Amino acid sequence: MVAHADISGMLGAWALDGCSDTEAAAVRAHLAECPDCAAQARRLRSAAGWLGMDRVQPAPAGLRRSVLAAARARRPPAAWVTLTNAYADQVALLDAALAGMSPADWRRADSRHGDVRGVLGHLAGNDALLAAELGLPAVPMPATGDGPAMRAAWRAQADAMLAGVAEADPARAVRLAGAGRRPVRTLRDALVQRAFETWTHRDDIGATRPVAPPEQVHRIAGLAVALLPAALRASDPAHAGRAWRLVLHGSGGGEWTVPAGAARVEVTIGADAVDFTRLAANRRPPGTLPHTVTGDHALAEAILRVATTLGCD
Amino acid sequence: MPGDRADDVRLRERLLAGDDDALAEAYDRWSTLVYSLAMRVTADHAAAEDVTQDVFVHLWQHPDRYDPDRGALRSWLCLLARSRALDWLRRRRAQDRCHTAAAAIAPTPAEVDDGILCQTEAKVIREAVASLPDGQREAVLLAYYRGRTYREVAQDLGIPEGTAKWRLRAALSRLADSLADEDILER
Repeated sequence: MVAHADISGMLGAWALDGCSDTEAAAVRAHLAECPDCAAQARRLRSAAGWLGMDRVQPAPAGLRRSVLAAARARRPPAAWVTLTNAYADQVALLDAALAGMSPADWRRADSRHGDVRGVLGHLAGNDALLAAELGLPAVPMPATGDGPAMRAAWRAQADAMLAGVAEADPARAVRLAGAGRRPVRTLRDALVQRAFETWTHRDDIGATRPVAPPEQVHRIAGLAVALLPAALRASDPAHAGRAWRLVLHGSGGGEWTVPAGAARVEVTIGADAVDFTRLAANRRPPGTLPHTVTGDHALAEAILRVATTLGCD
Repeated sequence: MPGDRADDVRLRERLLAGDDDALAEAYDRWSTLVYSLAMRVTADHAAAEDVTQDVFVHLWQHPDRYDPDRGALRSWLCLLARSRALDWLRRRRAQDRCHTAAAAIAPTPAEVDDGILCQTEAKVIREAVASLPDGQREAVLLAYYRGRTYREVAQDLGIPEGTAKWRLRAALSRLADSLADEDILER
């Protein structure tokens, strides 16, 4: 047992890490049972912490980026793990759906891309756009039109992308995939889009109606809402900059106000969340979307029309 | 005020949950402090950058090592920065026995940039350190910048070990009072 006075006298040295390991252990043990010394120790240690701060030198501006990147590389942020896992899940599900295909299944007609092989070629082409943005090697599609070989090439590309994004900066700017106007967004958004498109095409190839997990529906809706103002400005300048609200109910639903935080909106559109994501994928025409409109009907119509142009088809 | 205990607890929880925005906030709030400390000990830009990176990566990887009951997160980061900077200094000395002290031990005149955070704190600390009795100042600066133990401080200054311990405690206590007077530390 060490006397209180001995420990108390040692606290300055302890606060500066200036005593032996044995002494430090004795101090710690005493602090656990002596509130007075514990308070004193906190006070001295705080003062010690400030001691070297007698001259201010801001860190170089570029250091922030490299510190945050180094941290992410050691321990991927939770939100990023969620997004990469969501994409990986969609890749695995589509791969499983393709695995069981007969030669006849591969040639099943598709209204947009000819047949299932065309759908997969289109999907792989859009994946390759993001891979190229990230500087990852492109995996070429076999020219033979052999279904299983196409599946292997698409899968290799997707796996390369998953490996490549694991350590990438989720906030870095990339172009989204798609024909024509390719908005510049964060890699985070691009990955939501890849998961979304993979999910959409799994439906196209006739897999049992795939139900996306609610969080994914929510992310897809959020991305669509984020892309809408610029798309509206491009297609329908008369409606650009107007304030509106989207209220999606059901699994993955939520409420979005554009511009964010606008106190008053000109129209509120209500719809089912999954239905809305189908609309954004251009898999259902605006006329068939059950929805409610409170406010300016013309604005609502323009928003829903432009929403169908957000996907990659 | 940012940096109070409830704030530290919340930030720690977010870090534990893997929220990288919380790390960015911590960096924005304390990187000047951490980098300044590291520069002051190492007097080497590259080393100070490495130390700053180590400190924040450590916080991100091991937020559980910080115990809010034992003090402010800011203090924890300061002490971590100093300890990493001293490690660098020791490695450097081991490589180069003739290496002369990189950092000046006496408080140096400030090279102040206007409009920078921590400027007030730096001034208070300079004045508080300058106003310490010579014996206390020598002891505390040896311990702080050179990482000397109280026994080594006693040897360096040719004083009894008990006196060295007492000087370290008295110096930090006076410093704490000065910082509390300026509302930099709680009383």
